[in-house]
Amino acid sequence: MSPTADAATRTTLNLRAAILGWILPGLGHAAIGERRRGRLVGGGVLGLFLGGILVGGVDCVDRREDHLWFIAQAGAGPVAWIADLANESLVKSGRVGELIDAPSGDPFLGGTVKVSTLKGLGHPNEFGTLFCAMAGLMNVVAVLDVLGRRPKGSA
Amino acid sequence: MSHAALLLAYLPFLEPLPGVQRWWMLLLLPLAFGISVVYKAIRMPSLDAFWRSVGTMTVQIVLGMAGLAIGFLVLVQVVVPLLPAE
Repeated sequence: MSPTADAATRTTLNLRAAILGWILPGLGHAAIGERRRGRLVGGGVLGLFLGGILVGGVDCVDRREDHLWFIAQAGAGPVAWIADLANESLVKSGRVGELIDAPSGDPFLGGTVKVSTLKGLGHPNEFGTLFCAMAGLMNVVAVLDVLGRRPKGSA
Repeated sequence: MSHAALLLAYLPFLEPLPGVQRWWMLLLLPLAFGISVVYKAIRMPSLDAFWRSVGTMTVQIVLGMAGLAIGFLVLVQVVVPLLPAE
C-alpha cells in the first residue's frame, strides 16, 4: 500500500471536536464542517435536557441524591453541572420555595430531614430525570460519532 | 387550589410542570421525538429527508412502546391469572 493510500485509510480521531461536542452539544460536528448536523444534534440534546428540567423541575438533576442518573445526565456536558448547581443553590438551600421537615426514610436512625417544597415527586420527576438522562446518553453517542467522523471536505 | 391559581404560582424550570401527573403518558411523544432528532442527525449520511425520517422513527418508537404496553397488559391481566396457584 502506498503511503498516500495508507494515510487515507488510517483512522483519525477528532479529539478536539469530541471535546467541543461534550462542552456544547453539536459544536463538535460544527467544528468539522458539519454545521447543519451540529445544529440538529445541539437542538435535540439541549431540547431534551431543557425539556426534562421544564417537566420535572431543576430537582431532576441531583449529583448527590441521584448519583447514577447524574452519570448519564453528565454526558450532556457542563449544562448538567450548571443544573445541579442551580438545584443546590436555589432549591435545596431553600432560597426559592420553603424547607419543611420530612421523614428521613432511614429505618434505623429515623428522624426528619429538611426537604424543599419544590422537590419533584412522582411521574413529573421520573420523566424529567429520564429526559435529562436521555439527553446525556444521546450526546455521548454524538461525541463518539464525531470522534471517528471524517471532517467535511477532507479526502 | 384551583388550576388557574396553581399556574399563577408556577415557577418554570424550578418546580415540576403542573398537571403532568395526569397526562404523563403523553410525554413519550416529545421524548421519542428528541431521541429521533439526535439519532437521525448522527446516522443519516445525507440530511435531505431528515424531518420525514424523524417523524417515521418517532412513530415507530411510540408504536413499539404501545405494543409493549399491550403485551404486558395481556400477560399480567390474562396469562398470569390462568397459571396454577401452586
